[in-house]
Amino acid sequence: MNTHDEFRELLEAYALGSLDSADRALLETHLASGCAECAKALEEARWLVSQLAYLAPNAEPSDILKGRLLQTVRAEAASDSPQQQAVHATAVPWWLWAGVAALLLFSVYSAWNEQHLRNAVANLQLQAEAQRAERLKLEQQLSAAKMQAHEAMIWSDPKSVKIKMPPKDPNMPQLEAMWHPEMGLVVRGWKVPSPGEKRVLQLWLIPKRAGGKPMPSMTFWPDANGKFSAMVENPPDTMSDTQALAITEEPVGGSPQPTSAPMWVGGVS
Amino acid sequence: MFLAVFSPKGNDEVSLDATLMQQLLRRDVSAFEELYERHSRIVYSLVLRILRQGATAEEVVQDVFLQLWRNSARYDTSRPFVPWLLTLARNRALDHLRLKSERQRRREEQTEEFPQIASAVPEYEKALDEKRRAERVRALIGSLPSAQKKAIELAYFEGLSHSEIAAALNEPLGTVKSWIRNGLMRLKESLQATS
Repeated sequence: MNTHDEFRELLEAYALGSLDSADRALLETHLASGCAECAKALEEARWLVSQLAYLAPNAEPSDILKGRLLQTVRAEAASDSPQQQAVHATAVPWWLWAGVAALLLFSVYSAWNEQHLRNAVANLQLQAEAQRAERLKLEQQLSAAKMQAHEAMIWSDPKSVKIKMPPKDPNMPQLEAMWHPEMGLVVRGWKVPSPGEKRVLQLWLIPKRAGGKPMPSMTFWPDANGKFSAMVENPPDTMSDTQALAITEEPVGGSPQPTSAPMWVGGVS
Repeated sequence: MFLAVFSPKGNDEVSLDATLMQQLLRRDVSAFEELYERHSRIVYSLVLRILRQGATAEEVVQDVFLQLWRNSARYDTSRPFVPWLLTLARNRALDHLRLKSERQRRREEQTEEFPQIASAVPEYEKALDEKRRAERVRALIGSLPSAQKKAIELAYFEGLSHSEIAAALNEPLGTVKSWIRNGLMRLKESLQATS
């Protein structure tokens, strides 16, 4: 067991750093126990050991070392001051930073929102266009359905009068018409050849009165299969005042007076 | 002539070092330059004695003074400056000398980055100025038998342990321990003598 005096004898060597590990561990354990006398003696031993530096032969560092050191130190001192000054001089209150941040966020949000709204408007426009197109299609379908229904009613109603319209050309098919005194007039045909280029078929009402001129009515085209069904809801004259129906070939848009010989004629009984 | 590098430094000089260190806290370059002028020669002499290479020694000296500049706040101005600076320089030089060696590990266990040094300096420290203390140190150690002097130098400048010194000098371990302790005790007595 080491005594206190034995520890004291180790202090100079400990300060010198020359104690072997076993002695060093023992001494450090003793110092850690709080021996104030050894702690004070150790501080003096450290001072004493530091004096051995004077054993070193005289030598002088180069001027280059001094210049290098001072250059570094001056640069660090210069960089410290402006940085510190800059920090204080340009210090911005926190609320200003918060305001800038809020504005930035608002700008970003506004830009995003504007684009979002534009997209939404564009989508709505597309939807509206689609709905309009759909409505138009439905209206057309409805109109067609109404016309078909109207035609069917005219065609099936007992009040309607059937009018046969034989062709002048025996190679052409016969047409049929059905005239209802209130609902109107329907003319149908099958396997009817298309009229010439830029020409249409036009319906005429031939009045009974003497010297009466043919009254122009609707124009129409047969489809690719030569089929057509033309309805006149409000004929230009009444059935009782009409002698016959006639169809001629006329320029596109129709004519106020027939410009060609009738291709089909049917007497209204 | 040998001691000419050491300018006399009495108590006023010691307080001047403390004042200069306080000025370093305000990033006073002129204070740093004065500290360098006052102590760079002894620091460089010590580091060169340990490392024996001028270029490497200057690197370590530069490191020591930059640490002084950058970490001046960690220096306790109530403690003697020069012993603290010399201990710092010695530790740095020995670390450089024995990088990653077992001895360095032992040193790192013993020393902090800023060394512990005599907060309670011996009374006789104030009895002599630096120049006269240096003379006493050299005279006393120079008067020792060469083997004993060599043992102390190996411990201080080479950082060798008792066992390593015994092996290097081919002397018994106990003898080496006695040489070193007795040599330091005689140095202490020499420095205590006022005349």
